[in-house]
Amino acid sequence: MILVLLVALLAFAAPAASHAQAGNSVRLEVRLTPDSATRGQRAPVIRSDNLLGDGRWLSTLRSGLPVRLHYRIEVWRSRNGWLDQLTRQVYWDVVVRHEPLLDQYTMLTIFGSRVQERRYATLDALTAALAFAYQINVSPNVTGNYYYTATLEISTLSDSDLDELERFLEGDLEAARGQEGLGDALGRGATRFLLRLAGLPSLRLEVRTQRFTVR
Amino acid sequence: MRRLAALLWLLVVPAHLAAQDSVIVIDPDAPPAEGLERVGPPPEVVTELIEFYNDTNTTRVQGDVAFPAGSRFTGRLALHRGNLRIAGRVDGPIAVANGTLHLLAGADVRGDILVIGGRLIRAAGARHDGRQRVYWDAAPVVRTEDGLLEIRERRRPIGDLAAARTSFQTGKVRTTLLLATGGTYNRIEGLPIVFGPTFDLRASRRSAFKLDLRGILRTAGSETRLADFGYQARGEFRYGRVGIAGRIYSELTPIEDHPLDLSEVGWSSFLLQRDYRDYYDRRGYGGLAWVQIARPLRFEVTRRRDEERSVRATDPWSLFRNSDRWRRNPLIDDGHYITTGLQLDFDTRNERYLPSTGWLIQARFEHSSSGDVAPVFLPPLVRPEPPLGRRYAFDRLFLDIRRYSRITPSLRVNGRLRADGWVAGDRLPVQRRVSLGGPDLLPGYDFRAFNCAPEGFNDPALPALCDRVVTAQVEVRTRLNLNVGFRTRDRENKTGRFIGIEEADLVLLTDVGKGWLAGAGPGQVPVNRIPSFDEWKMDVGVGLDAGEIGAYIVKGISEDESVKFLVRLQRRF
Repeated sequence: MILVLLVALLAFAAPAASHAQAGNSVRLEVRLTPDSATRGQRAPVIRSDNLLGDGRWLSTLRSGLPVRLHYRIEVWRSRNGWLDQLTRQVYWDVVVRHEPLLDQYTMLTIFGSRVQERRYATLDALTAALAFAYQINVSPNVTGNYYYTATLEISTLSDSDLDELERFLEGDLEAARGQEGLGDALGRGATRFLLRLAGLPSLRLEVRTQRFTVR
Repeated sequence: MRRLAALLWLLVVPAHLAAQDSVIVIDPDAPPAEGLERVGPPPEVVTELIEFYNDTNTTRVQGDVAFPAGSRFTGRLALHRGNLRIAGRVDGPIAVANGTLHLLAGADVRGDILVIGGRLIRAAGARHDGRQRVYWDAAPVVRTEDGLLEIRERRRPIGDLAAARTSFQTGKVRTTLLLATGGTYNRIEGLPIVFGPTFDLRASRRSAFKLDLRGILRTAGSETRLADFGYQARGEFRYGRVGIAGRIYSELTPIEDHPLDLSEVGWSSFLLQRDYRDYYDRRGYGGLAWVQIARPLRFEVTRRRDEERSVRATDPWSLFRNSDRWRRNPLIDDGHYITTGLQLDFDTRNERYLPSTGWLIQARFEHSSSGDVAPVFLPPLVRPEPPLGRRYAFDRLFLDIRRYSRITPSLRVNGRLRADGWVAGDRLPVQRRVSLGGPDLLPGYDFRAFNCAPEGFNDPALPALCDRVVTAQVEVRTRLNLNVGFRTRDRENKTGRFIGIEEADLVLLTDVGKGWLAGAGPGQVPVNRIPSFDEWKMDVGVGLDAGEIGAYIVKGISEDESVKFLVRLQRRF
């Protein structure tokens, strides 16, 4: 009975996920680099599009709340007759916020301990910048069949979340975790609850590449 | 999950390429790199843009402008902020600052195009003969009232405006010469003038030397034992996240760092002849070492030897109440003190001066001793006589915990817990004692309303005599549209800059606090106890905070206090 329920759940869940990708105006694409390496290694190229075409995010930005795009690439090894194996994952963040005094948009791209800040004065330029593609050099070396999954989580941040995110991703993960005992966990939880009550949006998209073989 | 420790990105994004050609290549296995990189258009191109825009031969437009099909424009054309849509013919160069240039079908542009801070959107059928440069990153420019562009500089703090500062580079050494006020005005020094050079040597990417030499000219020092000149010299070596420093000094030191900030004390003294701090003369030398454990976390060890001496108040001029007498500056326990300190700072605030989120935690422990202290008389209830035949030694702890939270886009809640005072050893000397009451920590009560002076002890200097104080503050802030002021009109008679206060925080606040003497005597609190909460003093208030100035109405509700009206020149905390 449980098995039947699980199958039914999965059956309904898969189309729902596809629908989420198709129904929202934000699009996520992932493709492989051309098959030019001698051993067949190929890297993923991930790109999101039309974020600002979805009015919710623009409205959120103009309300003064930063928007976070959390990207994750997972390298999966395909194993016939057995569960696929997650071999590696890489993630990075893009945080966008509107600065009303300057009427500019600041885009922080956070890769590990390095943060890049760019400013854009027009929505056109910001939209174009958000459509940058990312090529992640995580091609596997071990022989086998592989594919990549790409995930994009878009969420609204409070300023404290933004601050913590930057510290987390700049290498302060352990220290920041250790500080949760000071009461921050409660504070952030309450903040997120209030943000949700306020009807602020969040979105998760996931796509995967075709399989490729490393010889 | 393997944590991504370091990524090197190779930004293969020439900004003048179209978006679909832009690829950022990330190599997760590259060596770690740190730091914030601010990317923007090349400075020389920004300069070129400004020169083009400001040229008297350039036709300058702003906002959304269209050249319809069939139209023809000849000359230099520049747009700031907006959309320039061209469907006709333009003979001449075009520059766009923080706007978008649309070449519509049928457009015919014969001249160079420079766009900074926007995009060039070119329709099929648009024609362009000339060089084309497009930078998406915003141009750091601002339009002046004369309609010209200039570089937008970062805002300087008000305190910096009263300073003359110049820097120059000689080889690897950067020298900065400074002439400035000390940022305050007080009844001991008057207006201190600070001057001197700072030398910075960046030896490598991770290491740096800094030598800071400052002279202090005291404009009201002639009637005190304080010399007319003071000095501070500090040498510092920093390697990565660790550093050491040494300093020698002869400086005026405040006894307590509240109830007002240095600049506010200065304004209060200069305007109203009300100096809310007490001071002593400190001369000595010391060293410190620190480690920045993580970006927000810093640990510091200090050791110093000070000669600490009492100083008398003088009579510097004040704008109002100049004929009044200044409050006396209290005598301190003169002597030579050796102090060892440990300090921990945890700072995750998003901004230093107007934070809206984050933590600030400061904890400092100090052990001090003296072999030649010359104590002033204090009632035995406040302090037994300092010991004879052995060193006078005491421990002090300071703790300041602040939390700034933004819980909705328009609602912020800030809290602060502060504790300061004696923890062990002999009782504190006068210059380490504490008090409560006044504009900062407990604004519903008069200045030093709770200074722990026993009944019958009347000292016009109103010294702080408590062993310990604890305060807790909570405030709720929400943004209000005030629009108190007027809006200027520019040359085109369009709405221009707003002069006045457009928005301010409505602040609801409450504070509780208690100062006490520790001990087993009458009116004292046992050393291992905190007074029961019903003995604490409480106030409530409301205010408007426009950022650089705030006005509050506060009332103490634990005693029959009158309503206090306060003006602050900075955030409460």
